[in-house]
Amino acid sequence: MKVEKILQVKDLNISFHTFSGEVKAIRGVSFDLFKGETLAIVGESGSGKSVTTKSIMRLLPEHNSEIKSGEILFNGKDLTKLKDKEMQKIRGHDISMIFQDPMTSLNPTMKIGNQIMEPLIKHQNMSRHAAKERTLDLLKLVGIPKPEIRINQYPHQFSGGMRQRVVIAIALACNPQILIADEPTTALDVTIQAQILELMKDLQKKIDTSIIFITHDLGVVANVADRVAVMYGGKIVEIGTADEIFYNPQHPYTWGLISSMPDMDTDDEELFSIPGTPPDLLDPPKGDAFAARNPFVMKIDLELEPPFFKVSDTHYAATWLLHPDAPKVEPPDAVKRRQNQFNGLTGVSVGTASLEKGSQSQFPGIKEGK
Amino acid sequence: MAERKKLLEIKNLKQYFNEGKLNEVKAVDTVSFDIYKGEVMGLVGESGCGKSTTGRTIIRLYDATGGEVIYDGVNVHGKKSKKQLKEFNRKMQMIFQDPYASLNPRLKIADVIAEGIDIHGLAKSKEERMEQVYELLETVGLNKEHATRYPHEFSGGQRQRIGIARALAVQPEFIIADEPISALDVSIQAQVVNLMKKLQKEKDLTYLFIAHDLSMVKYISDRIGVMYFGKMVELAPADELYRNPLHPYTQSLLSAIPAPDPISERSRRRKSYDPASHNYGGNESIEFREVTPGHFVLCSEKEFNQYKAQSNH
Amino acid sequence: MINKEKIISKDMFAPVHIDPSKSEKIAKPSMSAWQDAWLRVRKNKAAVISMVILAILIIMAFVGPLITPYDYSDQTTKHNNLPPRIQGLENIHWLPFDGTLTKRDGSEYNAYEVRKVDNYYWFGTDSLGRDLFARVWKGTQVSLFIAFMAALIDMLIGVSYGAISGYLGGKVDSSMQRIIEVIVGIPNLIVVVLMTLVLNPGIFPIILALTITGWTSMARVVRGQVLKYKGQEFVMAAKTLGASDGSIIFKHMIPNMFGVIIINTMFSIPSAIFFEAFLSFIGLGLQEPAASLGTLVNDGFKGMIAFPYQMIIPSLMIALIMVCFNMVADGLRDALDPKMRD
Repeated sequence: MKVEKILQVKDLNISFHTFSGEVKAIRGVSFDLFKGETLAIVGESGSGKSVTTKSIMRLLPEHNSEIKSGEILFNGKDLTKLKDKEMQKIRGHDISMIFQDPMTSLNPTMKIGNQIMEPLIKHQNMSRHAAKERTLDLLKLVGIPKPEIRINQYPHQFSGGMRQRVVIAIALACNPQILIADEPTTALDVTIQAQILELMKDLQKKIDTSIIFITHDLGVVANVADRVAVMYGGKIVEIGTADEIFYNPQHPYTWGLISSMPDMDTDDEELFSIPGTPPDLLDPPKGDAFAARNPFVMKIDLELEPPFFKVSDTHYAATWLLHPDAPKVEPPDAVKRRQNQFNGLTGVSVGTASLEKGSQSQFPGIKEGK
Repeated sequence: MAERKKLLEIKNLKQYFNEGKLNEVKAVDTVSFDIYKGEVMGLVGESGCGKSTTGRTIIRLYDATGGEVIYDGVNVHGKKSKKQLKEFNRKMQMIFQDPYASLNPRLKIADVIAEGIDIHGLAKSKEERMEQVYELLETVGLNKEHATRYPHEFSGGQRQRIGIARALAVQPEFIIADEPISALDVSIQAQVVNLMKKLQKEKDLTYLFIAHDLSMVKYISDRIGVMYFGKMVELAPADELYRNPLHPYTQSLLSAIPAPDPISERSRRRKSYDPASHNYGGNESIEFREVTPGHFVLCSEKEFNQYKAQSNH
Repeated sequence: MINKEKIISKDMFAPVHIDPSKSEKIAKPSMSAWQDAWLRVRKNKAAVISMVILAILIIMAFVGPLITPYDYSDQTTKHNNLPPRIQGLENIHWLPFDGTLTKRDGSEYNAYEVRKVDNYYWFGTDSLGRDLFARVWKGTQVSLFIAFMAALIDMLIGVSYGAISGYLGGKVDSSMQRIIEVIVGIPNLIVVVLMTLVLNPGIFPIILALTITGWTSMARVVRGQVLKYKGQEFVMAAKTLGASDGSIIFKHMIPNMFGVIIINTMFSIPSAIFFEAFLSFIGLGLQEPAASLGTLVNDGFKGMIAFPYQMIIPSLMIALIMVCFNMVADGLRDALDPKMRD
């Protein structure tokens, strides 16, 4: 059963022009977003995850950013080519975004009610009365008690978690097709985070919106994501369903991420940590950007960028380790434990054995790595 | 275990801001615990619980409103001579949370790290000073060339390591780490935590590790204290706390942590905590009681009996 | 690099040893915050042009009186009220340097020819026959001196006061701020008038008058910055290392405030120049034969209709200096503002 594709990002290349030169922040990113799913984009600082989503919304600073090539297809239009006025119609209405810091996402001098009503009046031409009704509904929907009183209050009268709920209400006011959430719970306490994540999943079911969820917290990813894209050095290095990524990861960077998070079984042994720091995209390294920190690095990683190798219909990883000629490597213990879990799950044996022979990038929309 | 030496004794510590006024905040409200030499004591809780304030009061960044902090037998607070204060500064050091605000942007790294050396006169010549700086840089996994650079040229993880080098420069015995990894990326967190563990073994350090990331705290700590609104509600060895959390707040906290494991996430049920659910009567005394050896819980007499019964099956 | 064309041979999959220390390398060249700021100031054309103009003006203020054959206080009453005339430019009639004056009825005449004067006065002469070129540059010298001194003293007093007030906090801070409020409440002019009554008018009394009340804005700005830095972790770190209060203020906080301090100082120079000019204009400034831009404007004002150049030239100079300082300060503020980094 084919699920509808809502968004297609094809071979996006974005650079920033700074004093020191051109920073190639996004170097060939492609992915699709399906209706009703939650796609998590995981990565660390400098991986390009925020830049990618901001480019979907065309929120990158105009004076020094440049979309060098690529397409973002939404509802039959290429968002990279739209004029600002046309983008304004889409923002808040078809695609909404929520950010990390609820304190600065809301206008401190405007009542909450007015902030929620703004997109309703502007995009859907509602009368103030109708907008107010809908706002009360939205406040109830996001779990804010006594909405009739709260609607006239200011942001400083709300706690952090409450503010984030209001932000979500504003974002969902016009029932957008896509909700982009850029680290929405990173600044919240653990218990509040749990509440907000529950709320988002609940709302997603009710409104049938697709969510792109950016985070660096793998626990949160495990909680919300249907599919996961792992980004490093401005590219997607691995993409698959949540189960595939957590229980059968193939890229050494994903291995590193998973092994560096202690869980209940981690004993006194040293936490596996990826040495070094992410690459400087001012001068992206030749070949695989992860090579300098890759304990399994091979000669070819220093020369050629790996293309995507297919692990399953839904699972692709860009690492030369999946090439038929590559030696078999033992992933870290933490990963091996998970792979055993995976065997139990699907009955399919894991590792490079499941790779189709000679397949290079059959991932839709991906061009060969440059 | 009984021969372990107590390095730090905190007795009924109180830190009230704006005491007596309308906007009085009881940030730390009668907290007592001990820290033994050579151990890693974890302190967890959510924002506003008072864990950072506790750390800062211990190291005298704030003056305690009440209670005592006794370090190696000597009271830390109260009137002290300059010499005595300097001694405390050498023995107790702190690592801060925000790698972007904890280094002076105008100083070269060498000067940042050597500040403690200069203040306490630990180097007799310029060369010796630089030698010590280079050694410290290498200890934390950085290079000599980094000494002449400025903080803004480094990444968050590298800055945090510079902060650790700075604290180590005075050769302390006890380090308070105030949310040292919260602002770092996941893979960098592991680097810093591994470094801290290594240093602890090599230099026989004692840590107070303040954080809100419970999985990392469990990994590095020997014992963990849980704080809620200025009070410590539970204190137990790390494994014990996770296996057998007794206080309902601890249970709710643990149930809220998302694990990087989709299967368990699908079945996880979150418990929420309502302070009113204790239903304390007016004359019940709520104290920090030892339910099983080493495992303390803030509770009433009734609850104490309940918990004891639970733990003894 | 296109994959398809490169042949991937088996030996390329041999493992390679990586040097972990290489991964800590920093690629960009080291740059202090100042170098970074300079690069950005360079981008602001208005600021750069203003800096060049100011440099020229300052050089001229010293060189100017030397390159003219006349001394600024020499009076040659026979040559009074002559318009500007510059050799070489005198025959270009749309430039004002041709030695002509306009009579009330609109007709032009060459004042030098009419009065049979052979000398050239580049900026003309005043009512007592003194060379305006020498006087204008001398005046610029004096005005700039007064302004710089006033700004410097303001800065020293303001920074210390504000830093101490902010750092100590509590009751000390409150009382120090109340004192500032009282000072600010007293009209500047009254203070100056009292000063000039008590002390005779001269350069130092004017500087004193300017500085008595001018330091308050710097003090407030610095106090605000100190309050901000007090809560910053690197200051707390210095405290836990055992740094003394003085060391914290002067080694840690103030270097981070240099930008703000410089900008504030740069903005106060034009107001000092203007204020001095104003004082001189109303007669409370320097006295004869001392020249400052303000006294020149005052003198020129009297002959404004018949001899407009006597007022226009010093006024233009004041305006030019003020605009240039403002542009430079503006450029510096943008360059040093961390939020405008890209």
